[in-house]
Amino acid sequence: MTSATQPLLRHLLVPVATETDARETARALSPYNPERVTIVHVVEKGEGIPDKTPVEQSEAVAEAAFTVFRETFPDAAEELVYERDVVEGVVDAANAVEASAIAFQPREGSRLRQFLSGDRTLRLVTEADRPVISLPGGGDR
Amino acid sequence: MSDEELAKDLGPLAALTIGVGTMIGAGIFVLPGDAIEGAGSFAVLSFLVGGAIALLTALSASELGTAMPRSGGAYFYVNEAFGPLLGSVAGWANWMGLAFASAFYMVGFGRYVVNIAGLPGGFLVFGVVVPWTKLIGLLGAALFIFINYVGAKETGRLQNIIVVILVIILTVFTAYGATRASVANLPPPKGFGPMLTTTGLIFVSYMGFVQITSVAEEIKEPGKNLPRAVIGSVLIVTVIYALVLIVMSAAVEPGYIQQVSDDGRIAVVAVAGVLLGPVGAGAMLIGGLLATASSANASILASSRINFAMGRDRLVSPELNRIHPNFGTPYRSIALTGVFILLFIVLAPIQILALLGSILHLIIYGLLNVALIVMREADVSEYEPSFHVPFYPYTPILGSLLSFALIVFIEPVVIVVGAAFVAFALAWYLFYGRSRTTKEGALSQYILSQPEEMPDAAVDAAESVKPSGDDYRVMVPLANPANQRDLITLGSAIAKQRGGTVHAVHIITVPDQTSLSYAADHLSELEEDHHSVLDAAREDAETFGVDIETHTVISHRSFKEVFDAAREHEADLTVMGWGPSSHGSPGRVESAIDEVASDLPCDFLVLKDRGFTPDRILVPTAGGPDSELSAEVANLLHAEFGSEVTLLNVADDVEAGEAFLEEWAAENDLEDATLRVETGDVESAIEAAASESTMVILGATERGLLSRLVRGSLVIDVAEDIGCSVLLAERARHRGVKERVRKLLGL
Repeated sequence: MTSATQPLLRHLLVPVATETDARETARALSPYNPERVTIVHVVEKGEGIPDKTPVEQSEAVAEAAFTVFRETFPDAAEELVYERDVVEGVVDAANAVEASAIAFQPREGSRLRQFLSGDRTLRLVTEADRPVISLPGGGDR
Repeated sequence: MSDEELAKDLGPLAALTIGVGTMIGAGIFVLPGDAIEGAGSFAVLSFLVGGAIALLTALSASELGTAMPRSGGAYFYVNEAFGPLLGSVAGWANWMGLAFASAFYMVGFGRYVVNIAGLPGGFLVFGVVVPWTKLIGLLGAALFIFINYVGAKETGRLQNIIVVILVIILTVFTAYGATRASVANLPPPKGFGPMLTTTGLIFVSYMGFVQITSVAEEIKEPGKNLPRAVIGSVLIVTVIYALVLIVMSAAVEPGYIQQVSDDGRIAVVAVAGVLLGPVGAGAMLIGGLLATASSANASILASSRINFAMGRDRLVSPELNRIHPNFGTPYRSIALTGVFILLFIVLAPIQILALLGSILHLIIYGLLNVALIVMREADVSEYEPSFHVPFYPYTPILGSLLSFALIVFIEPVVIVVGAAFVAFALAWYLFYGRSRTTKEGALSQYILSQPEEMPDAAVDAAESVKPSGDDYRVMVPLANPANQRDLITLGSAIAKQRGGTVHAVHIITVPDQTSLSYAADHLSELEEDHHSVLDAAREDAETFGVDIETHTVISHRSFKEVFDAAREHEADLTVMGWGPSSHGSPGRVESAIDEVASDLPCDFLVLKDRGFTPDRILVPTAGGPDSELSAEVANLLHAEFGSEVTLLNVADDVEAGEAFLEEWAAENDLEDATLRVETGDVESAIEAAASESTMVILGATERGLLSRLVRGSLVIDVAEDIGCSVLLAERARHRGVKERVRKLLGL
């Protein structure tokens, strides 16, 4: 690297949950032209108990999200992670692919809903060991 | 580690816990009192017989589970073996059986809460007595439905701890009770009839093991761990149940259970109180709460797996299995199951809930055992279990017979309700599932694959309940905007007459040099009218009042894409254009085509368009399957547009020709058609007749004609010389393996 500055958009790790989430996140990210993108979907595992959804369904959801995301970023690499904790899965994946930053679009939700699903936005921002970029537009749904 | 390995995180102990945790519930904490009242000292036998049936079925479930580790458990195996008719029965029985059982667990939960809180029997609201047990059951059910709806994983860890606590409580209870047991205390047995009736009641205590197979894809080394967990959990709970019953019958004085029940107390708790004092009673009360809660919790999740599997086979709407964007749970399925549970709690007394849970599961277990036999006997090539049922075929036969036989001993009212559920599930398949599912069972495939050796009745039966797949689908590949209106009009007219749908597929061909993903991103640059083509198609179809779906396909080779799309969309008929500009350039070398085209995936109509005017239709025929398709199309156009149809046969002998045409017209429902017989040269006869028509429908007289025609390597003189539109018809055919080999060898 010739310049002393570290380009944040060198290699982004973008967590996507569902098809809709992937579409909106891709739309929000597209104006910034990141150099490289890796999309990650974390399949929530029960570890010792049955998952909330069958593996087959979880993987289909991931596949659908990836496909939609690729419509905007055809060259994006993909990572499928199986982890009990979604936030941990994202952070670990960022490590594994040596991402320069994690970019995601926080979803608006009521306090109650955030409480029930365990406010992941806050946890991701505080637990990540690299920059976390919050993409705009997640609140207008 | 591969992705598949990573998805597997259930060790042998976790799998075992799922089975034990789901089974140890209200069955043993609520029913022993009723069991002893019903069967006397034979109550122990009731639980042992129940365990034996469960064990036989567990062996079958293990084999099926290792062969097909797919989500959906018992429903999935029955559907694979018998197809969707009985699959629908198994699916509904499994789903509703779990809902009834959950309702039963929750009323049991209510009993425990009432006992702990010392609440009275009920309270009055607007002159109606509301029993506390039911109200608390409803609240409890609502709580566990909610927990599953938002998908709190913490309950799962808790579940494992609960199972350990339960096993400890029951072990201490039986160990201590055994020291106090005396044969003199045993109540008199009440005979085998009541014993079996009691088995029917308590069988609800044996329905957790199948849930293990439902999460087979999450189990590590399923080939080894799945059978161990399934069979192990049945053995463990059977032993626990039997010991608990022995203690309850032998450690307290005869008549004590009866007296406790009359007081409205819970028998297990009362006996624990007698044996171990208030600590024992307290532990048992907590145990009962935990057990009923964990069973209900597990059953609610399990029912969503069955919904998922049914949705996968289109026996219920896949919409039911939508995942919640925040919670990641199949929230709709859980909510709907929840509604059923709440409804059942309100409607039925606790014993009936248990019996309905039992009977529906007995139906599934009976079917599951036979499913194993079908899978083994029907030569299913992919069926490779790593665990094999011992003493086959006696084990599954016995398991099936006992499951069905036990139903006979259940209360007639409950049998009627159970039968109503089965009837409903059958009707559900015939009126809902049949037009949607495409799944065929191993059994009917086996029967239909060798119609000569099978009895006619069996072939007919298999034929008549075969899934009809989706509705009639007409696929219209569109490439050239110029003739699209005529193609859509033709396709829509046929779809309308058949009560089907039109699938318009816009095929965009790009040069080999252009990557498909690039093309996908630059659609609008490549094809300016990309959207307008499909929009126009939609408008045209809608004028016919026909449902239309539109798709876009980007490809390097448009013609091959037509075949692929027809297969993918499961089209019954493809209507396409013909001409140099329609589908790729003429004469283009596409070596793969011959192989592809020799196996037509559906009926094909190819329109050489000179204006779509179906007023006077000419159908030249000499018989054969392809001209039968011509007749069918002529009929449909007649019905839609009131077209006049003329049949033409070119014969040496006019009389013979007329006789043939009359017969052929009658066979093809074209009695109203004008018959015309010509002699001499076939081509000029057709040309002459065509000059008086607006459209000619030609059956492909030669196999593979269509593919060569479309590729531009063959020109039919007739079609070129005729002035009006020509429709070429070719029947679908699926060449068998034998024929392929024969062709390969040049025979």
